[in-house]
Amino acid sequence: MLEIKDLHVKVDGDKEILKGINLTVHPGELHAIMGRNGSGKSTLANVIAGRESYQITSGDIFFNSSSILNQSPEERALAGIFMSFQYPVIIPGVNNTYFLKAALNAIRKHQGKTELDAVEFLKLIRKKLTAVEMDEKYLHRAVNDGFSGGEKKRNEILQMLTLEPALAILDETDSGLDIDALKIVAEGVNNYRRDDRAIVIITHYQRILKYLKADYVHVLINGKIAKSGGENLAEQLEEKGYSWLDN
Amino acid sequence: MHFLEKDLNQLIQFWDEEPDALRTLRSSAFKQYKEVGLPNRKWEGWQFTDFSTLEKTSYRLAAHEDIPPIPETLPTIDNCNRILIINGHFQETLSVLPDKVTVQTLQHAYATNPEIFNKTVVDNSNPFHNLNTALMNSGLAIIVGNNTVIDDPIHILYYTTGLTEPIMNHPLFLIVAGTDSETTIIEHYAGATNVQYWQNVVTNIKLSNNAILNHTRIQEEDHNGSHIADTVYSLGKDAQLNAFHFASGSSLYRQNIQVNLASSGASSMVNGLCIAKDHQHLDQHIIINHLKENCNSNQLFKYILSDTSAGVFNGRVIVSEGAQKTDAQQTTRNLLLTDKAMAHSNPQLEIYADDVKCSHGSTTGQLDENAIFYMRSRGIDVRTAQLLLISGFAKEVMETITNTNIDTYIDEKLTAWLENIGVTL
Repeated sequence: MLEIKDLHVKVDGDKEILKGINLTVHPGELHAIMGRNGSGKSTLANVIAGRESYQITSGDIFFNSSSILNQSPEERALAGIFMSFQYPVIIPGVNNTYFLKAALNAIRKHQGKTELDAVEFLKLIRKKLTAVEMDEKYLHRAVNDGFSGGEKKRNEILQMLTLEPALAILDETDSGLDIDALKIVAEGVNNYRRDDRAIVIITHYQRILKYLKADYVHVLINGKIAKSGGENLAEQLEEKGYSWLDN
Repeated sequence: MHFLEKDLNQLIQFWDEEPDALRTLRSSAFKQYKEVGLPNRKWEGWQFTDFSTLEKTSYRLAAHEDIPPIPETLPTIDNCNRILIINGHFQETLSVLPDKVTVQTLQHAYATNPEIFNKTVVDNSNPFHNLNTALMNSGLAIIVGNNTVIDDPIHILYYTTGLTEPIMNHPLFLIVAGTDSETTIIEHYAGATNVQYWQNVVTNIKLSNNAILNHTRIQEEDHNGSHIADTVYSLGKDAQLNAFHFASGSSLYRQNIQVNLASSGASSMVNGLCIAKDHQHLDQHIIINHLKENCNSNQLFKYILSDTSAGVFNGRVIVSEGAQKTDAQQTTRNLLLTDKAMAHSNPQLEIYADDVKCSHGSTTGQLDENAIFYMRSRGIDVRTAQLLLISGFAKEVMETITNTNIDTYIDEKLTAWLENIGVTL
């Protein structure tokens, strides 16, 4: 589903952040990418989602066998790529329901499905809200406006559940969550897993991996994947710390 | 300004039945105007706007022959009483006048209530105001009686259309809201013409004790129009003013707004939304005079500027010595959509009392790139994302319009405006 080949990425013209990433994610898999602050984890997520402030100097990213490097963020979203933001953005004056409905209908339109009207959408969104234990009042607020850190992250998961992407990249969705919220988010992700969907979770900590069963764990150090392995790699990291893998 | 003097003389000759006192008022106001002339960029408070274009066209006062066939479609706001004025001429037969409200022509009002005129020439520092007093040729007096509650808004539509040569109008609106009354008044300027015109409006609004007045001013003149306005509010004890100023029209716009909180317990909310494109220049100067104790004032002005347009906001809150327990808030926010659009904001506080709560703030910015990316990453295209953000920016101030029909009208105007707007930042 996702294939990243020897990806090199710079920011601000000179500083190389990703120094040759190779990663293959198949449908049905859950990959965890771990690493310290500044190792390039968020850059990787943002580059896959199509943020324009990075320069890709070499390498390629394939989604369902086509290169996506020339695609805009919205084209990637329509194709089925979703990124849960590390810092979800506040959009003043734009109603959460309106925003989600506009996004869902853009995707449905792209898929050749009929767009949902307000009543149909409300019916759908109420179900999804229950899954992440969010109150309906959040629908009436502006996007992420006045949301606590945990509420913002839950809102990201709500968006994922609503938009139903094939590939979800969760950028530090677990950070800043208390244990209850962490369980809710993890359960949302677990329930979302399906044979035709893939999830890449980016995290500092092993703790969310106690609730999510990762098929692969990768450790990103200084712009490169220093080690890949199974679930037990996360446990080893927890025990030994990242310095274990430093050269 | 030769054409102005000529017109004044003609006006005085033409309206030879005018009382001497009124003619004296006109002449003395004109004399005051002539002493200083039109404002130039060296004048404090006028430096961001070039008025010399007004002198480049020889406008003449609107005459009887300037009434074209009434257009079949005119701007409409649902569920309103309507007062229609076309090219300066009051169309009484086409107006739906509310019960319990006295609507008089200026001549009639002067004959029955001359003192309300004299009060209008107090501010001599504004030459446009003096010019209006000298040349006032249009407008109405609207008097809402004491203890009167008017349910449906009074919509004054001042429409300019079908011109064959450049005209000017100097309308004067005198609005009095009686004690314990409650009214909504929409003062609405619009136009459709290929010929230049100039409106020089004075609106004098008095809120008697305990009156509640919602005043919406909509300025959507044709781009061939220049719109100058002086709007003065005077508030009595415990009176409550909710004003909203929407401006999207005219090539040159300058409005002075003055709010006099003249008795204790008065409160005013004066908000506005200005949207400009092309070469439009929209300039608003607001003075809130806290003259007595226990008054509060709120201002929120937003500007959305595209192309090479310019927006000017100059807001002064003056708290007089005796005005203790004043609560005054002032906020202005500008959104620039291109790198050629310009915003000038100058919020000022002058406080001469010691027990007050005052704040002001001003921001100028562009569309938030992060927010745009966030929306795009959810499948929303760039253009839609931009428009959502711009409407979102306007929403905070739009939400202060309490009347749904007025809100709908302005919202539709904003939406239509956004459809063709350029965003390059």
